[in-house]
Amino acid sequence: MTGFIIRRVISMLVTFIVVSIIIFLMMHSIPGGPFDGYDMPLPDDVKARLMATLGLDKPLWEQYVRYMWGVLHFDFGVPYQSPGESVISLVAHAWLPSVTLGGLGILVGAPLGILLGMAAALRRNSWIDYIASAVATLGLTIPVFIISTGLILVFAVWLKWTPASGWGEPRRWILPILAYAAVPLATYARYARSTMLDALNKPFVSVLRAKGLSERQVIFQHVLRNAAIPMVTIFPAMFVGIATGSIFVEAMFRVPGLGAYFVSSINKRDYPLEMALMLMISALYSVSYLIADILYAVLNPRIRVGGGRR
Amino acid sequence: MTELTTAAPVLAKPEAVRQRSPLYFAWRRFTANKAALAAGIVLLIIVLMAIFAPVITTTGPNDQLFLTNSLNFPSAAHWFGVDDLGRDFFTRIVYGARVSLGIGFSAAVFSLLVGLPLGALAGYMGGKFDWVVMRVIELFSVVPPLLAALLLATVTRGGVWAIILIAAVFGWKDVCLLVRAQVKSFREKEFIMAAQALGASPWHIVWRHLIPNSVSPIIVGFVLAIPLAMMLEASLSFLGIGVQPPTPSWGQMINVGMNFMFFYWHMAVFPTAALAVTILAASLLGDGLRDAFDPTLKGR
Repeated sequence: MTGFIIRRVISMLVTFIVVSIIIFLMMHSIPGGPFDGYDMPLPDDVKARLMATLGLDKPLWEQYVRYMWGVLHFDFGVPYQSPGESVISLVAHAWLPSVTLGGLGILVGAPLGILLGMAAALRRNSWIDYIASAVATLGLTIPVFIISTGLILVFAVWLKWTPASGWGEPRRWILPILAYAAVPLATYARYARSTMLDALNKPFVSVLRAKGLSERQVIFQHVLRNAAIPMVTIFPAMFVGIATGSIFVEAMFRVPGLGAYFVSSINKRDYPLEMALMLMISALYSVSYLIADILYAVLNPRIRVGGGRR
Repeated sequence: MTELTTAAPVLAKPEAVRQRSPLYFAWRRFTANKAALAAGIVLLIIVLMAIFAPVITTTGPNDQLFLTNSLNFPSAAHWFGVDDLGRDFFTRIVYGARVSLGIGFSAAVFSLLVGLPLGALAGYMGGKFDWVVMRVIELFSVVPPLLAALLLATVTRGGVWAIILIAAVFGWKDVCLLVRAQVKSFREKEFIMAAQALGASPWHIVWRHLIPNSVSPIIVGFVLAIPLAMMLEASLSFLGIGVQPPTPSWGQMINVGMNFMFFYWHMAVFPTAALAVTILAASLLGDGLRDAFDPTLKGR
């Protein structure tokens, strides 16, 4: 088990380093630098001095090593759009709305999705099964910003039940939370249904029924436990969905979170902020999958890939 | 001798039954799937709308002919109303289908052009080549596609061709994996061994035997790549780094429509509905085709 985890961690680190190099190179291949904007024409020598202070005149590999060394110390540099603070302090005050709304979105969406998927699996081809598959298809195919537009139009513009946007009083959170909840809801509705069906069709279920266990015992003590393993393992992936979704949800609902900063960093060519956010999300992504893999190995001893104790 | 002649018709009899191709059964399964069939019909209508856009509406998508009626609500003259710049909104939506479908389709073609040969070669050759291709795909799966696309779109500052290429960069791996799996399962079959024994070159075997046997994953991969590319285009255009105005793109129209939503609801409703319906139809069609070609995957 330890060997498995160590190997997974090493492969994750290698992939992450490669990804960070690619991101770094891509950010530096963007034509135009921070001081090329037409609103701020600078004389060449001033520009050169500014580039030197920011370390932008060094060879690329050195810039990369210096950058990653800083990253290890949580120093992501200074955002060009607000030179008065550091990237990390900007992130420190922007994470709260994103994490609150995204977290609540998962908390609302995932359990509902699991319930829906379970009900669909237990009552196949009934109305609830059709609802579950409709929800799953809609949530997984339609982009988040379409869902957000729909929510605003229906609940804020026509029904006038909730305010449409902003951050602050919890009443304004309702719609963004629903928008965030769409993806976990849809994913779990589909996933819970298929894992439950898989488990229900295993031979041991017939044995348990033949043994005379009540249907309730069969489902809650045996089927559910087996179906829970894959359901737990996709849970970390939800955070990744939330991170990507936040870009659109926050743009739509005007929430001052990390996603909103991501968009502004793109529009303002703010390399340090954009790179920091990209790296953080890639790290979140890799760590989520690492956790998912480890959870899977821990929960399901049959799948311990090589090296593990037999 | 007489025994043989009497035996022959008996043996020949089963061959009189018409041989059904796998495509026939796939088609039967597909038409039995009501949702996919409906999605296919809806998508066909949208495609026809896109192709015959100039016949459906007489005004051009960028003609500001109705400036005095700007932001008018839907009426008999303007079915979807007029937008903020005095353009007939129905025309904009119809031409938007061209952009959306055109990008979806072209991106799928490019995904296929890259994914098919790579997948086929990786599946057939295995070994080092396969290892490299799989590691590259792994790299792509570590970065969330939408985010990386955002980054690439900032590098290129959008534009139709940039979006198509970006969508292909993230679309090829699905096609590649589907083809690779199919080729891998066929590589050990007897007819391939026979071809090898006859001295056929790897290229010949891949091109003449393995790729024709991978038609179903190729079709499925192609069709499923279309809604993904459309989604990407809409998302990037929504953020303002996709298709640039005045080219009509639904994502971009939603972005503009957001600002008018509270009173001029038609500015947001129609592009949202058009995009949702098209993407939904395209993915339902793709899912339906996948289930039809490979019933074992159903419900995944």
